[in-house]
Amino acid sequence: MKKQSNTTENKSDLYQDRWSSYGENSGIIEISEKPTALQLQQFDIFSEYDSAFLEKISPDISIAIWKKNAVLFEEGSYINLAFYVVKGSIEISLQKKESSALGIPIFDSERTVAITRETMNKDQTLFQAQIEKQKSSKNPTAFLSNLDIDLPLGGSQILNEGEIFGEIGALSGWPQSVTARTKSECRLVQIRIPALRMMRRKSSALKDKLNLLYKERALFSQLQATPLLQGCTETFITTLMDSVELVSCDPDEVIAKEGTSADGFFIVRSGFVKLSQKISDGNIAVSYLSKGMTFGESEHLLEGVNTWLVTATSKEYSELVKIPKHILSQITQSYPAIEQRLWESSIARIKETGKSRRNIQQSEFISTALNRGLVGGNSILVIDLNVCTRCDDCVRGCAETHGGTPRFIREGEKYQNFLITRACYHCQDPVCLVGCPTGAIHRASVGSVVEISDALCIGCQSCANACPYDAIVMVDTGKKTKENEVLYLATKCDLCHTSKEGPACVNACPHGCATRIESLDAFQNLIAGSGREGLS
Amino acid sequence: MKRFVRSPRSFFIFLAATFVLFILYGLNLLLDVARPGNIWGIFYGTLSTILMAGVAMLGARRRAMKMAAKRNIGKVKCWVQFHLYAGIIALVLMFMHIGFSWPSGLLDTCLWVTSVWVTVSGLLGVLLQKIIPKMLASALTMEIVYERIPDLVNQIRDRAETIVIDCIDPIKDFYKRNISSVFLSPKFRSIYFVDITDGIQRRMRPFDYLRRVIPLIEQKKLDQLQALYKAKLELDAHYTLQSLLRGWLCTHLPASLLLMVLIVLHLYTVWRY
Repeated sequence: MKKQSNTTENKSDLYQDRWSSYGENSGIIEISEKPTALQLQQFDIFSEYDSAFLEKISPDISIAIWKKNAVLFEEGSYINLAFYVVKGSIEISLQKKESSALGIPIFDSERTVAITRETMNKDQTLFQAQIEKQKSSKNPTAFLSNLDIDLPLGGSQILNEGEIFGEIGALSGWPQSVTARTKSECRLVQIRIPALRMMRRKSSALKDKLNLLYKERALFSQLQATPLLQGCTETFITTLMDSVELVSCDPDEVIAKEGTSADGFFIVRSGFVKLSQKISDGNIAVSYLSKGMTFGESEHLLEGVNTWLVTATSKEYSELVKIPKHILSQITQSYPAIEQRLWESSIARIKETGKSRRNIQQSEFISTALNRGLVGGNSILVIDLNVCTRCDDCVRGCAETHGGTPRFIREGEKYQNFLITRACYHCQDPVCLVGCPTGAIHRASVGSVVEISDALCIGCQSCANACPYDAIVMVDTGKKTKENEVLYLATKCDLCHTSKEGPACVNACPHGCATRIESLDAFQNLIAGSGREGLS
Repeated sequence: MKRFVRSPRSFFIFLAATFVLFILYGLNLLLDVARPGNIWGIFYGTLSTILMAGVAMLGARRRAMKMAAKRNIGKVKCWVQFHLYAGIIALVLMFMHIGFSWPSGLLDTCLWVTSVWVTVSGLLGVLLQKIIPKMLASALTMEIVYERIPDLVNQIRDRAETIVIDCIDPIKDFYKRNISSVFLSPKFRSIYFVDITDGIQRRMRPFDYLRRVIPLIEQKKLDQLQALYKAKLELDAHYTLQSLLRGWLCTHLPASLLLMVLIVLHLYTVWRY
């Protein structure tokens, strides 16, 4: 109990130290929102844009003066903006020392490259070995592929005028891997992600600059941690870094079109990519890729295949690394083990594609999973409607465990005889965490659980508005603010992670029809198994 | 096996327990008759009462979610399995208690009838819980929380009336004569037990006839009305079938409470006289 209150206290301190304009003790001395085009053009980063464009993006930009030693963001937090240093200096540091702080690679361990189980186990062992190695090293370097700045643990780096930071985590939807603190009084331009994306699209110079920063700060670690490139020397990866291209895609943007020339090989850094193939006059989804996964193996390996065998479409904002075809040829010539992994991955993809083509339900399932965001969920509550007696004991159980307020409602979309409820998915990349001004919504220390701290929630609704699945509900607390406005509290499923029995919804179900699925495979097994159930 | 029973393990335990009981009863008959007053009868009666008390605990377990979060008291699903099988065994034990004969006296007869009623209504509930969810899941596109149905019907009606205001006279007349009454409130219609869609194609036919004689621009409004009408029919189906799923408990719960009271009375009379 004491530990809990300490945690809350620490978080409250963090809250008071953050940039938020909600806090009375914010680190911001002065902030000007919606600057004019003229004001923006004074800064180098905006100099090449015309006034009309700057007016358009100005609602997403603010200029703030921060006091000395203020925390801009801390390790593990999610932000939706990038900072540009106009004046002053920022200290970037990596302080987490516990093994848990090292976390796990960003890769979707179930489906990542070199899919065979043996290879996967080998890769996981490699990761574990690396973690162990770092823990024992005196000056370990965090190898995580989601680092946006490579730093030794406990080390720091100073960023000065004219530098941009925070953009990698924000653009990719990753947690920040470092803590940023003002070293002196600073003047910073804060650019929210929609504006940054528009700027990047409009200016190739900015795009090149951001890509260069990414290559300098993070790419080495990412490539080194990519399972496909395990075993490559550091020199080789350094050379490879100069040859790869970073690709940023908007939702529904076509990355590769079936039948057109296949000129490269892609590794997904963030987001999801749908792979589809032509059948007759239409297209069917044959597979999907999540972070760490690759495509282009078959096109590279199979003799006489020079065009894309699938159409790859970005499902949301996604970031990819493109390795040109001739570079990949060099890699496979130098490292036969990599060619072997590519073959395994290629065979797995061909099998998966064949399965979807033969079985249209499989394709429908992939489409649903992508459209409903099931691919990114860590724990999704589904109810077998063939068995559910609509008694609502799941909701009642949830309410009783959470002080009378249920954290979900038994509504949602149907897939076959399953109801995908509007309960939090505990997403791999939780967009609800981005932009929370107090850090109230956070990853709990248990697994992938995303929870909200009631003590820190100020009812701003930013998480509820951000959640694409309506899984966060604002509840009237019955209290009023100083301005006499109703005080709301954001509520969502916390997976009952403190409960001995696990999620109350599952335990309360008298017929065992409420299930938490942790992967699409589990959901498919559940679908296959339902309908064979008996009487009692 | 899972095709017939949801938890084969529980089912096998139930079968084994029943088998052991009948073996025991056979031995009992070889040695002595079974009467409520002798040692055998008292043994069966005591066992039956203990089981019935355990069976009755399901209600308490369902409401003990807070305790379940702190202490491991088992999933409700397991308690339901116990409730079902132990309930049947308790009835069998009750029959053994009286030597499979007709009870004598008013209290004992009431106890007998209530026990049978509770078990049979419970089994009927199991049957309904097996059939109705499949009916709801198979043919209906929506999934609705029962308590929200009246509110949703009101919303549908309001939306339909907003659409009708701007429609031409034929649609207004059609709405007034054929649809408006359907939108008044949720309707319990027994037809849904037999045909979950209530011949939806047949009910859509008037819309198709009307669509042929109205201008194109009005057809969109008619389409919206038709979609609302379909939604209302689905709500009615949910209302009817979910009412039965809930209403069934009215035949089981009060009788169970009465049974508890009668058991206490029975124990008191046995102890007193």
